[in-house]
Amino acid sequence: MKPIRRLFALALRRPELARRQTDEEIAFHIDARVEQLMEAGLSRDEAEAEAHRRFGDLARARQELHASAERREERLGMGDRIDELVGDARYVVRSLRRSPTFTVTVAATLALAIGANATMFGVVDRLLVRGPEHVRDPGRVMRAYRTEVNAAQGPQTYASLGYISYTLLRDQARAFDGVAAYATPGERTVGQGGDAEPAFIGYATWDLFPLLGVRPALGRFFGADEDRPPEGQHVVVLGHAFWTRHFASDTAVIGASIIIGNEPYTIVGVAPRGFTGVELGRADGWLPMSLRSASTTSNWTTTWNAEWLMVVARLKAGVTPQAASDEATHIHRAGYTGSNRSLAQASMTLAPISYTRQGRESAEVAISRWLVGVSLLVLVIACANVANLLLARAIGRRREIAVRLALGITPGRLVRLLLTESLALALLGGGAALLVAFWGGKAIRAVLLPDIFWASSPVDGRVMIVALLLTVTTGFVVGLVPALLARRQDLHDTLGAGARDSGVRPSRVRAGLLFTQSALALVLVIDAGLFARSLANVRALDLGFEPRKVLSIDLIWPSIGNLPPDQVQAERARRRAGLLGALEQVRHLPDVADAAIAVGTPFGNSFVVSLRVPGHDSIPDLGGGPYISVVTGRYFETVGTRLIAGRTFTSADGPGSERVAIVNEPMARTLWPGADPLAQCLMVFNDSLPCARVVGVVAEARRFQLREPPAMQYYVPYGQESGIGGSVLLVRPRADALRFAEALPAAMRAGDPTLPRLRVRLMQDAIDPQVRPWRLGATLFAAFGFLALAVAAIGLYSVIAYMVAQRTREFGVRLALGARGRNIAALVAARGLLPAGLGFAAGLGIALIAGRFIGPLLFETSPHDLPVLAASAASLVLVALLACLVPAWRASRVDPVVALRTD
Amino acid sequence: MPDPFPLIRGTLDLLVLKALCFGPMHGFEITCWLERQSGGRLDVEDSALYQALYRLEARRLIDAEWGVTGNRRRARYYRPTATGRAHLRAETSRWLRYTETVSGLLTAPLGAQP
Repeated sequence: MKPIRRLFALALRRPELARRQTDEEIAFHIDARVEQLMEAGLSRDEAEAEAHRRFGDLARARQELHASAERREERLGMGDRIDELVGDARYVVRSLRRSPTFTVTVAATLALAIGANATMFGVVDRLLVRGPEHVRDPGRVMRAYRTEVNAAQGPQTYASLGYISYTLLRDQARAFDGVAAYATPGERTVGQGGDAEPAFIGYATWDLFPLLGVRPALGRFFGADEDRPPEGQHVVVLGHAFWTRHFASDTAVIGASIIIGNEPYTIVGVAPRGFTGVELGRADGWLPMSLRSASTTSNWTTTWNAEWLMVVARLKAGVTPQAASDEATHIHRAGYTGSNRSLAQASMTLAPISYTRQGRESAEVAISRWLVGVSLLVLVIACANVANLLLARAIGRRREIAVRLALGITPGRLVRLLLTESLALALLGGGAALLVAFWGGKAIRAVLLPDIFWASSPVDGRVMIVALLLTVTTGFVVGLVPALLARRQDLHDTLGAGARDSGVRPSRVRAGLLFTQSALALVLVIDAGLFARSLANVRALDLGFEPRKVLSIDLIWPSIGNLPPDQVQAERARRRAGLLGALEQVRHLPDVADAAIAVGTPFGNSFVVSLRVPGHDSIPDLGGGPYISVVTGRYFETVGTRLIAGRTFTSADGPGSERVAIVNEPMARTLWPGADPLAQCLMVFNDSLPCARVVGVVAEARRFQLREPPAMQYYVPYGQESGIGGSVLLVRPRADALRFAEALPAAMRAGDPTLPRLRVRLMQDAIDPQVRPWRLGATLFAAFGFLALAVAAIGLYSVIAYMVAQRTREFGVRLALGARGRNIAALVAARGLLPAGLGFAAGLGIALIAGRFIGPLLFETSPHDLPVLAASAASLVLVALLACLVPAWRASRVDPVVALRTD
Repeated sequence: MPDPFPLIRGTLDLLVLKALCFGPMHGFEITCWLERQSGGRLDVEDSALYQALYRLEARRLIDAEWGVTGNRRRARYYRPTATGRAHLRAETSRWLRYTETVSGLLTAPLGAQP
């Protein structure tokens, strides 16, 4: 820090110096005058009196001269400093242009490292720091969760509550400044005919908007009188993006009508740009909560049996989440009127809105948090590398620096020059880093976090500020080491000795930097390997069906809620016929291997209906289920669920045929242990219906989660069900499902032009959100790991190559004296391999310790997975060997004659 | 000795610049030069000269550097910068035009007026 202190001292002492110099000047003037006058014949006393008289009132003049000297120094100082800076900048630009390889390597390294950090900041800023857009003080907005303790499954926490829970908390709790409820925006059809498009429409109680502190961009939000149970007004607040897209930002839409589902709504307002409510997904419109269930559940405001909304509350200042949770638990237990014992004893928790519906920090957030740390590590590695390169460069320029010092450049100025150089490199890298952050952010948003609605560009003001701060810090950090070392050098030694041998200190610093780089790079590569393995494990998971090979097609019919009852039946029959027609038609398309209709699909809808099994008083509780699916023939062949015994359904199974059923393997095992499940009897839907004979047993297929306990599941033929609906058409194309999906709607509509809007998705799409955390982790850890590896390899190579270049003459001498090329190569390689090897050992240790923390983020992968550890270490050792051996080999081939002639 | 002239504001700066055109000088040398050249007819306090020097230096019309005098004393030597020389040329011609005009007016013969 010495040169920096000196710089300050100089600035502080400047006025003082000016005053002293002025005094010296005055004294000299008076002396000279006295001398002159005495030569002319005056006595000393007379001469002095005369000199003072001619100078003017000495005390006053001295004061005035001090003032103007200070003013002068101030003006000159500023100018000098500007001149110096301009000079430094010119010098730096010239010297960087002279070594383009060095400049590009360093700038690219910093661009990637700073860009990675800026990208991760952009992601975490939205996920974690800033929360949803337009929410005032999001840290105090909490979501209410309920935890029930269930004998079979242990504690279960969930966020889906009933309207009654909302009113209880709203009316009784004192811990909050506001309580509101909402339902996550879901896909609906908006508009009619050719204007129709899918949109994400949410429901909110009127008090959600004031609770969040959001103001409308246009018009107003709906009020209490429009959201009054049992049935609210048909009003809608549009999302800003939807308004822009659908209405071209027309301000005249307020008061206009829009069709949602099949019903007209009056537009009362437009939400501000980027507003997504409490969550981060897309929201195209908001309807009053009291419209949500009015038509289906008559007592929906008071029942404990309809739980589909989420409750949020804003904590009062000074109230802790714990205190609020205690109060909410008390209110729930006192207010519960139903007969479910575990529900009566359930407890309530208030937790951050960024948590999942299960009341946990989401895996994406947890992994992103790690990735921030990882990107910082990448930056540290990059800094170590760049500092190393700058150091090597500074040593290479010892002579130039020494000459400059000897010619009178002050050490402070030299430090500034070197810092200017590193800052210029950092700024170059920082500028490119914004591009990296832009493209990187775009890619991450689209591929890894597609469910989040991003209103702003990946490089917004905050990202830019962070990038700038990182850039300046990086510039200082990487410049300081060589700058301070350069100052230390003994001037005469350097001038005398030439630029060959590097001092002890710099080489020790470089070895330290190599060690750090190698250790951190290994840690990152290991973590990347662990995440890649997790992702592979997730991918390889046998879900009991083949989601990547099957398309699921929803027919989006308009709502029939407002038809007269006699027409509803006819319309239902018409739609059923339309669906069956579509199935027949799709089946005969040349590229389709199989197709089926199903009500209740894996990772889609699940249904539980009345079921009685002869020989069992009650059905054993495996924690949910038994679930029923209603399927046409060839369903199992279509989705790829394996038949274990008996037969699957055929086209002969239908409304008029014998009642049959197929059970899954856990159900067969649980209900009829040791007995043959075939020909057993299930009394489904209603005890008065005849028995459904079990004709087959199929493998278990997951319903909700990648990892879940086995659940009972049975199937009945399409047409033998009653009381459940919501069919999807499942299609298994012969070739690539995604490519086929694009052509499918047009092909289907060609066969039947009366078909409604079709939504075609890969079944995997419904599972993807659960795979995403691992994909996020695997992709970004791999990217960062690779970056770290590349940077460390470049660092190692350049340091060794530089050393070889410096010691060419020495090697020449050694070779001339009879040393073997092999020995020279070993000598050189050891210089790099020793610190790198020690670094790898340390990195392995760090990875083993860090495994404890990263373990919970992995999928069925041990953080100490031997193949990953071994492969990572081996690949890094290999890279290090290559990086060292190339320059070492070159060293062994030095031609003594040429080497001795240089310098 | 005739009565000394009070100096018109700004003129001293020009005179100092002029003096320095003969070569680098320290403050006392400039004083002497002025006294010698004007025959002592300029009424300037010595301190005013230093004010002028500092002013000129702040405007980067002159440069200063510490040097050693003939009898081995440290003194601040001044010399005009390129800007200073250009400034002197411009101001000198302005001064000449000004005095010419003013003297022309003052010396116009009486009675020749239209």
